[in-house]
Amino acid sequence: MLTLTHISKSYGARGEVAALTDVSLGIGQGEFCAIVGASGCGKSTLLNIIGLLDRPDAGQVAFDRRVIDAGSRAEAARLRNELIGFVFQSFHLLPRLTAWQNAALPLQYRGVSRSDRRPRALEMLDQVGLKDRAEHLPSELSGGQSQRVALARALIGAPRLLLADEPTGSLDSASANDIMALLRRINREAGLTIVMVTHDRDLAARCDRRIELHDGQVVSAEAAA
Amino acid sequence: MTGASPHSPPSLSDAFIEALANLRSQGRRSLLALIGILIGTASIVALLNIGHIGQAEAMKAFNELGVDMIRIQATRTSSGGHAHFDRSVIDALSGREAMVAEAVPLALGSGRVFSGPQQANLSIVGATTELAALNRWRPVSGRLLRAIDDGSTVAVLGSQAAASLSAPGAEIGPGSAIRLGDYVFTVVGVLAERDRQMLDATNYANAVLIPLAGARRVLAGDQPNVVMVRLRPGTDQEAAGRRLSAMLADPRTTVQVTSALEVVAAMGRQRAIFASLLAAIGGVSLLVGGIGVMNVMLMSVMERRREIGLRAAVGATPAELRLMFLIEAGLLSAAGGVLGAVAGIGVSLLVAMVSGWEFVLAMHVLPLGPAVAGAVGLIFGLYPAVAASRLDPIEALRAV
Repeated sequence: MLTLTHISKSYGARGEVAALTDVSLGIGQGEFCAIVGASGCGKSTLLNIIGLLDRPDAGQVAFDRRVIDAGSRAEAARLRNELIGFVFQSFHLLPRLTAWQNAALPLQYRGVSRSDRRPRALEMLDQVGLKDRAEHLPSELSGGQSQRVALARALIGAPRLLLADEPTGSLDSASANDIMALLRRINREAGLTIVMVTHDRDLAARCDRRIELHDGQVVSAEAAA
Repeated sequence: MTGASPHSPPSLSDAFIEALANLRSQGRRSLLALIGILIGTASIVALLNIGHIGQAEAMKAFNELGVDMIRIQATRTSSGGHAHFDRSVIDALSGREAMVAEAVPLALGSGRVFSGPQQANLSIVGATTELAALNRWRPVSGRLLRAIDDGSTVAVLGSQAAASLSAPGAEIGPGSAIRLGDYVFTVVGVLAERDRQMLDATNYANAVLIPLAGARRVLAGDQPNVVMVRLRPGTDQEAAGRRLSAMLADPRTTVQVTSALEVVAAMGRQRAIFASLLAAIGGVSLLVGGIGVMNVMLMSVMERRREIGLRAAVGATPAELRLMFLIEAGLLSAAGGVLGAVAGIGVSLLVAMVSGWEFVLAMHVLPLGPAVAGAVGLIFGLYPAVAASRLDPIEALRAV
């Protein structure tokens, strides 16, 4: 479903810091896959490239065998809105918006009217078990609840791919377990492809597949379970 | 390319609702920028409206006489003697000169006037029935001077003059006797109050009017020393003034010409100074307000980097992010503009009250203030908005 071919990316004025070197990967539809590796190994860069937040210096990203070539930032934004849901370590909820308004944010950039956004956001919050918190502000939510709202936001646009960057990194172990279980359930029930970056070996072990990066290169990429 | 699902920008009403909420959360900083814009707009609106009121007020001073008048006054030359015009020359003016529609002579002096124990220093005006018509005088009691009064000792009093000669229980009115010099005059009427006109030779409210033909009894000589000339429409007032003064001047008399247009122009110049002062204040305040808006917006962009990054991640295009901040800047300024317009009208009302002018509202001024303010907001909001749209979403999401 997602294919990366010969991706390279480097940083610095003359590209002296190589973040990714010739990475090729294929991720199948419905896979729940973990990208693991020590910090600085290029996990985040890879996630940014998959998430169309960054562009590789060389190589191609293809969704469903169609090569993505976002010519402009505007086009990349549209593709993100359409194809990808993001979950971040620090939730990134907007503090002024209620839970349902946060969850509904991607719909706003699809031109969905305010009155249509609300029922869809409520339905999504229901799916992550937070319907009764719809009118609460992020400051009134626990970490686990916040991440559920973020998950609802990631799912509301019916993306092809869910990208999770250390989704449990800011949570206590019980909440982390809940979120992990929720991701698993969404993956099973909806068949949603999930790519999760983590440095937590235990969490990675609960995924279908682990892709290990070291110094910007894939050192092991098990086949799908 | 991947399935081209419809991506349309957020609706404008959404954008406005969000912008309002964002500004509210900026609290005091928004307020300060708003005040800057408010003062700027208020100055501009006040300036324009005061100009409008002033103009209306200035034109009022010509209501009765009109702007096609010139006043020619005889003044003494160095050789001395009583400066005056020859009545026959004046009477011939309107027939001989194509540009003159009407030429009305009057003799102007002053003296002490007695009424029983009361006395006052008053202007003494030797007037004709034409002068009464020209000035549109109306009696509040009694009557005006008539042609048959020529040569008789009758007088009409201005309203203030009548008041200052009256004593409690001894009101001056038609039938009263007053003394000017060695002569006793019979009051036949009192003038109704009237705004002093710009070209009036004296303040008629504070004058005694007597027939011109008999004026030599109390004034030096029996010839007029002022001529009010109504020009035909379209006449060059300056040229007419020069020509008439050349005709009326003689070795004993120089003439001083005052034209209505000249006075209007002088008042206009005075207003222009006032206006440029207010315009400068308005401009500086708007500049300061604009910089305030830019400051608020830049701070806002800095503080909301994570929000910007997140919005970008979930699909906001650079143009949509730009618009979001532009709307905030525009709203902030427009709100300042509307409040400023109200404040500006208040200021002009105050100025009108202090100056004793009649307050009028120049409707064309009202939309101008908010429009200028909105434009300032957009101009100064552009840079922060562009800065927001250029943020790298990855960096922005990483911001603390």
